[in-house]
Amino acid sequence: MTQQTLSQRAASTPSPKKLRPLFSGDVRLGWILVTPALLVVLGMVGYPFVEAIRISFTDRMVGRGPGRWVGLANYEYIWGWPGFAEMVTRTVLITIAAVTIKTLVGLILATSLNQNFKGRDVLRGIFMLPWILPTYIIVLVWRWIFDGQTGLLNQILMSFGLISENIPFLAQKGSAVALLIFVMVWKGYPFYALTFLAGMQTISPELYDAAKVDGAGRLARFRHITLPGLRQVMGVVILLSTIWTMNTLEIPMLLTGGGPSNATEVFPLLTYHLAMQNFRLGEGAALPIMMLPVIGLLVLAVAGYMDKEATE
Amino acid sequence: MTRLLDRIPESVFRVISALVIVILFSMILFPLYFMVTTAFKFEREIYSELTWIPRDPTISNFRDAIFNFHIPLYLSNTLLVAVSTTAIVVVVSVLASYALTRLRFPGRAVMARGVLFVYLIPGSLMLIPMYLIIVKAGLKDTFPGLIIANMSFSVPFCTWLMMGYLRTLSSEIEEASLIDGCTRLRSLWHIVIPLSLPAIITAAIFIFNNVWNEYIFALVLAQDDQHKMISVGLANFYRSDYYMIGPMMAGSLIAMTPVVILYILAQRHVVGGLSAGAVKG
Repeated sequence: MTQQTLSQRAASTPSPKKLRPLFSGDVRLGWILVTPALLVVLGMVGYPFVEAIRISFTDRMVGRGPGRWVGLANYEYIWGWPGFAEMVTRTVLITIAAVTIKTLVGLILATSLNQNFKGRDVLRGIFMLPWILPTYIIVLVWRWIFDGQTGLLNQILMSFGLISENIPFLAQKGSAVALLIFVMVWKGYPFYALTFLAGMQTISPELYDAAKVDGAGRLARFRHITLPGLRQVMGVVILLSTIWTMNTLEIPMLLTGGGPSNATEVFPLLTYHLAMQNFRLGEGAALPIMMLPVIGLLVLAVAGYMDKEATE
Repeated sequence: MTRLLDRIPESVFRVISALVIVILFSMILFPLYFMVTTAFKFEREIYSELTWIPRDPTISNFRDAIFNFHIPLYLSNTLLVAVSTTAIVVVVSVLASYALTRLRFPGRAVMARGVLFVYLIPGSLMLIPMYLIIVKAGLKDTFPGLIIANMSFSVPFCTWLMMGYLRTLSSEIEEASLIDGCTRLRSLWHIVIPLSLPAIITAAIFIFNNVWNEYIFALVLAQDDQHKMISVGLANFYRSDYYMIGPMMAGSLIAMTPVVILYILAQRHVVGGLSAGAVKG
């Protein structure tokens, strides 16, 4: 029995045999089977979602009761906050940079792995480690490596005589942003690579052979066979990953905590800081709602792609 | 440029590929290697200089992590939450995904479509209301609170994953069994579930892994030591002004062991079951 992979789903046109309702009991049974999941979704996602919207219109603070209705005051406050535009730009730029690099490195690795050699499967397994390991462990280790006083990177550079005094990598604006993106990429690109690889392996080798006969070069083959073959897989992976990357809270929180001087304060982290450090729940709830249109567009795009895959 | 790339002979191209793999591979192993070796170093060695191999290997960091930092307690807390969440979510999601892909009933199409949307609701939006609801329900610093929070994103994910699998699964055998007089539930139990076991295992591993690796909800919902999750326990090593690198690396090593073992055992399922939904992170 083969596992369903994205690529297979993309490659094979879905033609599930529609099961005609053989029993009139379908309706009742359907609802019975769906009910537990529906309760979870309504109670643990739907209700909190509505609550988030409601709280965003109040001045609720931690430990001070339900708060008063303040209308759009929280939204106006955040909109008028001088750092808002900068924070949004920062979030978008960091997301775009991370996703772009993940895609490129993922493609390069997938192409390199898409050849027959001994030990490829073992290698593929080890390449999955960043994806499988807990994010917090990975971030804590990298944070120690980049640490300005006792960090490993400083020790290494020192031992090779490349620097004469420690560099506070995470306390300098430029390097802090770069390293945040680096850790995001390190954690994320293996998954891209292995999904792309799975996609590449569903492309018929005959296509490449035919193209070779026709004199198509390596780049032409990549551009006209590999990329079109991967389009569906890449589309879904990139869109979904953009959503996740934009919402990543753990990595900036544990790596830099938003510093130095807010250089890595992205929107999920600011939400956390507003709500859990400043105890301003109303504002903390309003911020992600303000970002919802951006995420909503991405979600609709994903849904569009998915529908192409699995039209019902 | 194009010409240049095309003129590279196949052998050279293979060398370049190998080089790329070696470089990326070292980048993957670099932090992991130092995590492992540092766990066996004495504090003095960690802070003073760079050593590639522990000069004087010690297990004192592990002893510290286990006896002074409650790592075993946090591990058993996490295990309890992860196993309970996985068990509940798998049952709930398998039932729902079967209904949503195999049965025709009003409301099905809307729900089937909604699953993905629910799954993609940003966690940062859910954090505050979830926190308030859990507090209000008196479930802060309890395992049920943590299980509920984890279920909220696991159920849509698992249902979505299972639906994708069931759609590709031919329903011919099922149809035959129904015609032979099998009830829906019997056919679900005796045919659909055995056939989708690989997908169920994949989904269960993903959920277990997600709960094991979850940090934000664990941080907000369980501050109390008796209910702390391993992620929060380890991150706390950094809370103080004084970094305890040695015990932290030892603790990390212990904490990632179950995940790695699970992965090795089920690698076939995980790698095979790659689905875009698992792209998280």
